[in-house]
Amino acid sequence: MILEYHRPKNIDEALVLLGRISPVTLPLGGGTHLSQHSKDDVAVVDLQEVGLDQIEILGNSIQIGATVTLQQLMDYDDIPLALKDAIQLEASLNTRNSATVAGKLFTCDGSSPLATVLLAMDTRLVWLPGEIQMAFGDWLPIRNLSKPGKLIAQFVCPKQTTVRFAAVGRTPQDRPLVCAAVTTWPSGRTRVALGGAGSAPLLAMDGTDRGGAESAAENAYSQYHTPWVSNEYLKETARLLVHRLLTE
Amino acid sequence: MKIKVTINHNSVEWEILPADTLLKVLRREGFFGAKSGGCQQGECGACTVLLDGKPINSCAKLAAQAGGHSIQTIESLGEHPEKGWKVSAGLHPIQQAMVDSGAIQCGYCTPAMVLEAKALLDRNPYPSETEVREALAPVLCRCTGYIKPVQAILQAAAVLRGEIQPGVLPTGVPMPPDWLGNLPEHGQPSEPSSSDMSLQTRVMPKITIAPQTMGWKSVGKPERKVDSIKLVQGKPAFTGDIDLRGMLIAKVLHSPLAHARIRKIDTSRAKSLPGVAAVLTWQDLPRVVYSTAGQSDPIPGPLDAFSLDQKVRFVGDRVAFVAAETEEIANKALELIDVEYETLPAILDPTQAMQPGAVKIHDEPEYIKFDRSDPQVNLAAQIRIDIGSVDEGFLLADRIYEADYEVPKVQQAHIEPHVVITYWDEDDRLVIRTSTQVPFHVRRILAPVLRLPIKRIRVMKPRIGGGFGGKQEVLIEDVAAHLTIATGRPVRFEYTREEEFTASRSRHPMRIHLKTGVKLDGTLTANEMTVLSDTGAYGCHALTVNGNTGHKSMALYVGDNEFRKNPNIRFYADIVYTNTPPAGAFRGYGVPQGCWAVERQMEKIARDLKLDPIEFRLKNAIRPGELHPFSTAWSEGREPAPEIVNTVGLEECVQQARTAIGWNEKYGHADWHSSTGKPYLRKGIGVALMMHGTAIPYLDMGGASIKMNDDGSFNMMVGATDLGTGSDTVLGQMAAEVLGVPLEDVIVFSSDTDITPFDKGAYASSTTYISGTAVVKAAQLVAERIRIRAARMIQVKTSQAVDPKDIRLSDRMASTPDGQSVTMSEVALNSLHHEDQEQIMGVASYVSPVSPPPFAAQFAEVTVDIETGQVTVDKLVMAVDSGVIVNPLTAAGQIEGGMTQALGYAVSEEMTYDELGQAHEKNLMDYHIFRANEMPKLETLFVEIFEPSHPFGVKAVAEIPMDGVAPAVGNAVLDACGAQVDQNPITPERLWRVLRSAQSK
Repeated sequence: MILEYHRPKNIDEALVLLGRISPVTLPLGGGTHLSQHSKDDVAVVDLQEVGLDQIEILGNSIQIGATVTLQQLMDYDDIPLALKDAIQLEASLNTRNSATVAGKLFTCDGSSPLATVLLAMDTRLVWLPGEIQMAFGDWLPIRNLSKPGKLIAQFVCPKQTTVRFAAVGRTPQDRPLVCAAVTTWPSGRTRVALGGAGSAPLLAMDGTDRGGAESAAENAYSQYHTPWVSNEYLKETARLLVHRLLTE
Repeated sequence: MKIKVTINHNSVEWEILPADTLLKVLRREGFFGAKSGGCQQGECGACTVLLDGKPINSCAKLAAQAGGHSIQTIESLGEHPEKGWKVSAGLHPIQQAMVDSGAIQCGYCTPAMVLEAKALLDRNPYPSETEVREALAPVLCRCTGYIKPVQAILQAAAVLRGEIQPGVLPTGVPMPPDWLGNLPEHGQPSEPSSSDMSLQTRVMPKITIAPQTMGWKSVGKPERKVDSIKLVQGKPAFTGDIDLRGMLIAKVLHSPLAHARIRKIDTSRAKSLPGVAAVLTWQDLPRVVYSTAGQSDPIPGPLDAFSLDQKVRFVGDRVAFVAAETEEIANKALELIDVEYETLPAILDPTQAMQPGAVKIHDEPEYIKFDRSDPQVNLAAQIRIDIGSVDEGFLLADRIYEADYEVPKVQQAHIEPHVVITYWDEDDRLVIRTSTQVPFHVRRILAPVLRLPIKRIRVMKPRIGGGFGGKQEVLIEDVAAHLTIATGRPVRFEYTREEEFTASRSRHPMRIHLKTGVKLDGTLTANEMTVLSDTGAYGCHALTVNGNTGHKSMALYVGDNEFRKNPNIRFYADIVYTNTPPAGAFRGYGVPQGCWAVERQMEKIARDLKLDPIEFRLKNAIRPGELHPFSTAWSEGREPAPEIVNTVGLEECVQQARTAIGWNEKYGHADWHSSTGKPYLRKGIGVALMMHGTAIPYLDMGGASIKMNDDGSFNMMVGATDLGTGSDTVLGQMAAEVLGVPLEDVIVFSSDTDITPFDKGAYASSTTYISGTAVVKAAQLVAERIRIRAARMIQVKTSQAVDPKDIRLSDRMASTPDGQSVTMSEVALNSLHHEDQEQIMGVASYVSPVSPPPFAAQFAEVTVDIETGQVTVDKLVMAVDSGVIVNPLTAAGQIEGGMTQALGYAVSEEMTYDELGQAHEKNLMDYHIFRANEMPKLETLFVEIFEPSHPFGVKAVAEIPMDGVAPAVGNAVLDACGAQVDQNPITPERLWRVLRSAQSK
């Protein structure tokens, strides 16, 4: 249960509050998750006034503030269409108006289209204090580990890339049963991420040899299944989607 | 803590707790227009409010986060156009358009839709239809199919731009006989459409008008729903929209095990928690066996349930009840109840239920059997129907076709969860205010359970936020009632969305074997269906739902030639207990399951014999004047009686629907099937024909009373239960037609066991037909008294003899053929105040000896990805013979909403369990129902054929749209790619496996 609510005016105040050991103090984004799923006694730090809600293009990167809402990001002109498609599938308008990028990525599971695309884009996180950078793919599996006194400030995505996304669902707007995203760089680097199963999307491939991408996709899901799709279907559909994204 | 907010343009300060959601605070502060769908991820959107002008889910936002912001709720928009001496601004144009366009059914999600529209039109006055659908996507509607809300918003946009005037009813006109193909599309999305001036007609279905209806002034007209103005304003009309002083919150401890005996249960820690008022276990309650099925007496099924028992029979079954001062305390108390279980073997697969040595799920001595039910072998019900000589029929066939089909367990998913409030009134009578389809059955069934005589219970049904059969169950009323008896205090109990999935009711899943004998010319010689049906842990509706599986789907195809008079039909069903959540009533009531098998089978046969699939069906379908083959064999567990089917509009339905979807240009045309430009996408078209029922003959009874007021208006009280279907409106239209007044002069009230006449409730597609006839009879009694008095008044006025039989009631006047008249208000004042005073009133009831079936043709068009198995349904067209259509708007809404529910049954909806009986689907994310921005095109057509057994010629309309979509989609998938998918829903993997299997062969 949420016992305390704080709304700091700046980052420093927020970091002090988040550094407390007791009560356990959590950052609060849009509230779409914590408002309903806080069984443990916790304090929350609402980040709506600390100024992390900006999107900026800096050089060859898109810098997305941690408390940017999904709708804000979707409405931003300079993001790839594939990312917009993924956000569209991630949540409907009401949730997109509330949920923050950081909050959604913190609570997402393996079927998240948004996380799948950001993983394929080799997104990086910037932590405060210290502006320490970390690969999004490294953070995803350990994101539930407690980090007192630390706060995600922004996500940084490359701009000069081509991003493609495909998904299979029961209906056109269903959360994907299987999805895949492929990012290609002018250098020839290709990065393939898959969504659909597990606790987070998987990176299937990162390299310049695209020939192995389909097999990599199949291999990535070799141990997975969900209540809604078998391992066999996951593997073969992941392979197929990657094939389509690379060839169509 | 305190927060300051601006709510509906007023600055206020609220005292809140840090954990309070915005929804909780808003409702506590009296803003009841924000509704709760019980969900935990904001997936239903019923709680939508605007925060700084943007729509959000107030259930998924802390109230504290709203501090310093501006909130707008539905209460800020519009007001009733009549507010006495105060000038009213009237409804907001969006609200007015929702009312005018028939966009409101149950109305539970309507305030959310209005607010989404407000936010959209504030930022974009010229939205396209796609943009409107995207704006509505957060709000799940289980009633409408979204067509009319979308059209209403487009209409409101045009009004706000000053292009059209508000408040104009849709201009539906009778279609000329040659209209096929000559008129523009109605109800079709088209783009861009924001400035389309034909919007008003696009919410109307196409109708061929029965000649008998000419001259009617209310029946047959697209009247505004009588409850729409309050619903569009978000008035506190629903069960949960009241707050009583001292009211406790109830919670139920549910079983974590599929099958277990409770060895020990210790509630001491829970009871000692401050704020807990009562904790009840099986040891505290009288042990009364009953059935939760809301049906007439005697219940046509086994009595196998207790309010609380020492045994649990599925994950989600009841273990204990708690009442506490707050929801948080009640939930905490649940955690403090210590239960020691003896785990028993569980049956999760229905094929295991009747195996020798299987564990007995119902071993309680109090179990009361009905008909063939036998708890010793886990048999809840059994049906054995033989019509004609089936084995001989098979011998006469040239070909025998056999196949197995499977249909899933699915959830009603009404957006308003089950909710009840109970309290003792000042006379110490127990009041049960509940969201139910069956208030009178609730009262009768619960009386012995609560140890109260029926006369000491009052059941009130406010507005209902959707039911679809899920509220034909006496599911939670006893929980609150027991706790009110235990504490003496008002108690509120509302299911969460998770409880709706784990501890409610569902559609029966079935495994169906079909064997069909056919001659080479396509004549059916015999048809045999064998069903294994899973009723779950309790036998509620086991017999009757499953009986309808055969009764409706198999009766449609009697065979041709000599078989037409002597059809050979066999229907056998075993309905078994398993340790899964119970099945129950769900719109369609067993028929969609049967239609899936029969219509898939008919398609296979037609294709194998190289017959036209439509002609083959029509060749064997029942025709006017023929005996309903099941009418002499089965009647929901009661004595059957022969019944002739008088009206069958099937051929007309087929003709109209096939034209509307372009069957002739698509079916069998190879080019059309691969016209998408992508080699792995294939298009397909499919058909299914349906026959349903209209009420249960000799059983279903409805009553109505009508009284005249001083101004010539009327109060009409009906026990019929409008659960969003519009029944209050169509019943009012019938009364208005008989009484010669506009609908606005008939004030409809439903339903309250203390006030309204008995009605069996809203199920079996009976209300318009049964309750409607009761209304007509009551209105005729009133009309007769009005005529007598009016004749006397005119006689006094003119000194000429007037025969009451010559008096015509129309336009609020009672008139003689030569033009003499008195007004309704003059008659009313005369009768109530002036001379020979009497209360002009009438009370009547009705039971029907027949159940005239509605018929329909369902067509579907799909695109299939043959590599992933993904099916996209592009278009659904349904033509329906429901007799005379009382209100085209509400009737079309029924068809559109029904097709949308059935669409989920076709491709996405399914309840599944793991090896321990734990549900996989516990929310409306994993269990996917269609949203506004992913709908196929829908088109509704009505073929009016006057049904002679009803005064206004009506038949049922509500359930038949559930029946044909899934098989039509299945047949379209077959048409697209040759895949025979015999299990629905047709999920990507299911189709992918069939395609792969075919490739490997």
